[in-house]
Amino acid sequence: MLRHIYVAVWQQFKMVAAKKHVPIVKKHNARFNRHQSDRFMRVDPSWRKPKGIDNRVRRRFKGQAAMPKIGYGSNKKTRHMTPSGHKAFLVKNTNDVELLLMHNRTYAAEIGHAVSARKRVDIVARARQLGVKVTNGKAKVTTES
Amino acid sequence: MSLSTDLLWEVTRNNSAFLVNRRTGGGARFSRDPLNLTNVYSRKYEGSINEKAFGVQPAAEGGVEVSVKKAGKANKPASALQTSTIGKGKSTRKTYQSIVNSTTKRHYRPDLRAEAVARASAIRQSQRPKKATPERKLRGRKAEKAAEVEA
Repeated sequence: MLRHIYVAVWQQFKMVAAKKHVPIVKKHNARFNRHQSDRFMRVDPSWRKPKGIDNRVRRRFKGQAAMPKIGYGSNKKTRHMTPSGHKAFLVKNTNDVELLLMHNRTYAAEIGHAVSARKRVDIVARARQLGVKVTNGKAKVTTES
Repeated sequence: MSLSTDLLWEVTRNNSAFLVNRRTGGGARFSRDPLNLTNVYSRKYEGSINEKAFGVQPAAEGGVEVSVKKAGKANKPASALQTSTIGKGKSTRKTYQSIVNSTTKRHYRPDLRAEAVARASAIRQSQRPKKATPERKLRGRKAEKAAEVEA
């Protein structure tokens, strides 16, 4: 049997925890799908507000799909926050990581998708020195043998 | 005579080489300015704009490097900076003391005292050797068997 051993260049290490914050509450986790997108292939699930005069979703009848509204918005204090309590900050090189020197408790680095494995190793190493969390530090540098 | 710093800020606030704009995380704005103590792009912290400003950067051989902007040298940017290095041999408390003595205690940007100390602290922290990451423990009997076969 073929065995896959994953050798992680980057290993889990203890990061600086995020600043204390109010609990993150998501009021509506499911996506808002467009009315009748489940019935017809040609109706895309991207949300469109129903406009018809008789539409039961628009008239908010009992048992109908909920419509998105401003009340579902997240608390401003926890908006854009990951479950760890950090916000993501896109980095493409080590200089971008340096920017987070004083903000490692509010921001986490996220390496851009087009960054090579070689540079990722540098970025992850520098982030570790600065105590900056990297959200996708294992991507691409993990080799399969 | 130098230009008004307010005018400089109005001109460069939305378009500066130091400005780093991101749309992720609700739109972060940071600054690469070496004279910016918090890396936050704002009028208060942007040292290249302000008449008086100072920066704390990691020194090449450990420790921190403090650069203070000399007033009245706005038209001579090359000689406007006075740089001094506080080596890694000095204790962190002495480092902070030294920064505060050369700036806040001389009534030079006393509003930036806490930020300067925090930055020096973060830099010194980042220069400390990091512990080696512990080997990841294998989880489950199958993984252990697989490792034995490999070895």
